[in-house]
Amino acid sequence: MISAPVLEFATVGLGLLLLLIEAFATTLPRRTIAFAGILGLLAVFVATFFVATPPPNGGFWNFYTADPLALFFKRFAIITTILVLLMMIDYAPVVRAFVHGATTEAGVGEFYALPIFTCAGLMWMASAIDFIMIFVSLELVTVSFYVLVGFMRRNAASLEAGVKYLILSAVSTGFLVYGITWIFGVTGETNLARVASAVIAGVDRGPALFGMALVLVALGFKIAAVPFQIWVPDVYQGAPTPVTAFLSVGSKAAGFVVLLRVLAPFFMLPEVQRLLVGIAVLTLIYGNLAALPQNNLKRLLAYSSIAHAGYLLIGVVAFAGNAIAFYLVAYLLMTILSFAVLVVVSQTGGDSIENFDGLSRRSPFLAFAMLIAMASLAGVPFTAGFFGKFFVFDAAIRQHHIALAAIGVITVACGFYYYFKVVRAMYWEAPVANTAIPVSALTRVAMVALMIAIVVLGVYPTPVLNALR
Amino acid sequence: MIPPFLFWTFALLLLVFGAAVVLNRNPIASALSLVISFIALSALFMSLDAFFIGIMQVLVYAGAVMVLFLFIIMLLDLRAEERRKINVVATTGGALVALAFFAQLYLVIGQLRIASQPFAPLPPKTDDVRNVGALLFSNFNLPFQIIGVLVLVATVGVIVLSKRELR
Repeated sequence: MISAPVLEFATVGLGLLLLLIEAFATTLPRRTIAFAGILGLLAVFVATFFVATPPPNGGFWNFYTADPLALFFKRFAIITTILVLLMMIDYAPVVRAFVHGATTEAGVGEFYALPIFTCAGLMWMASAIDFIMIFVSLELVTVSFYVLVGFMRRNAASLEAGVKYLILSAVSTGFLVYGITWIFGVTGETNLARVASAVIAGVDRGPALFGMALVLVALGFKIAAVPFQIWVPDVYQGAPTPVTAFLSVGSKAAGFVVLLRVLAPFFMLPEVQRLLVGIAVLTLIYGNLAALPQNNLKRLLAYSSIAHAGYLLIGVVAFAGNAIAFYLVAYLLMTILSFAVLVVVSQTGGDSIENFDGLSRRSPFLAFAMLIAMASLAGVPFTAGFFGKFFVFDAAIRQHHIALAAIGVITVACGFYYYFKVVRAMYWEAPVANTAIPVSALTRVAMVALMIAIVVLGVYPTPVLNALR
Repeated sequence: MIPPFLFWTFALLLLVFGAAVVLNRNPIASALSLVISFIALSALFMSLDAFFIGIMQVLVYAGAVMVLFLFIIMLLDLRAEERRKINVVATTGGALVALAFFAQLYLVIGQLRIASQPFAPLPPKTDDVRNVGALLFSNFNLPFQIIGVLVLVATVGVIVLSKRELR
């Protein structure tokens, strides 16, 4: 048995090791760094199953918890990072072309090593139960994303995305810190449990809600909820594709864990509920409607990521931790799968949906993988995406948020249109070229695993639902 | 405690030069206004007996960060910013949002009970630096270590993004 904090320190140690290998073993092929990272993360993943239950209290445990929710999302972060690293190996030629280096492989080592630190930040976020801890771990994640988003610095789109993300994210951090100071000023505490007991004992209601609203602005930015979504389309489109996938899965999931933890003390206040319902409705409608006219698949997935934040927010309004966890797992599988296909296909043409025309004849395997991902994103039965939406709506109806669930169901119909636009291009349009698209064996294995997981969870969701108990 | 007129002087300085940062068309004038507003802020901290934060405000922000700002501004093309036209719609919208925010702030401060209560005076010989240091390495050790990782990531990032030719 090991103590939970060891997991993060092992992850950081792994990142340091990879940076050292990058610096000193100059003759080693850079892919080795990615493989070492994947193996190391797998070891940490296995270790999460041997975590000792934490002692009741102590200085350290005021900031850090190893409850089932935290452990679940630590595993989530590790799996996401492993899949992103696999995608990065496929994407390395593009990065090489846009990094100014003395050798052809310059900079690729750092590209593989930085996600490990992001992963450590995500794991700390999953465990954070103190505003100070939330702030520093969130910043670790954000700062590493600043670097990763703008990584291809000779590509104008990537640089533009990096600058936009940097500026808007810094503004949202300002809101977060200001909100935390208000909550601290009212309750005199930064630990969430003690904030909760202070709120129950009675605090100045207006100022506490004001602080909470400011914190919500910052978290709304992280999870890409409307009206804090302005950055999403440009940043998602400009960033290197594996980083986009990481941003849309890892950053969002960690944002939702923090949201659940931060909301717990304030949830019985009716104002907070109303605010959340408002944000959820706006997010659902905006994300789905804005996705309709998109022709670029990366941009389409960006708007779809906003729409999915809306469905997840329905789960937050119903405060259904299990439903949110399941939805996020389904979201991880289908989003990573679609981005993985996009990484392979875009290298033969571009990111736009036209580049997928006739994919079924050029590579039946990739077309089928994309079909599964799109069906699951739309919420077709017998895929994980269906159960994700089902559990969220079910939780909302149990809490008597009928109108919210109804809006959710209507917007799902919208989703069918734009996801199946991609399917139509792949199966009904004439191919743009007749060349076959090569897929490496490792990528093929990862894609098959993702497809199997999507279908299995679409039939038998119990294992994930039980994971939080 | 300081006499109220000193508080008003520094608060006014802070606000006037804070506004000057935004309103000035010349980036160097903006940056220098920011220095003055930092110094006024540090004076306000000192008036609350928070000497360590006050000194840090001058050393780190007015000193190190602002010097960096000025260097970067001097390396950039200044004319572009001065030539830029004001976007009326965006400015009005931004001003309205800011106004709504301040109205909200005004209402909320009125409801804050501790805002109208005087704080108990600090014990006469409080060693700020020792207290902050002791807290960072005892109670707040974990967040402090995470900041270490954050600085490392930032360092790697700066090299990757700014080095002329990566090796």
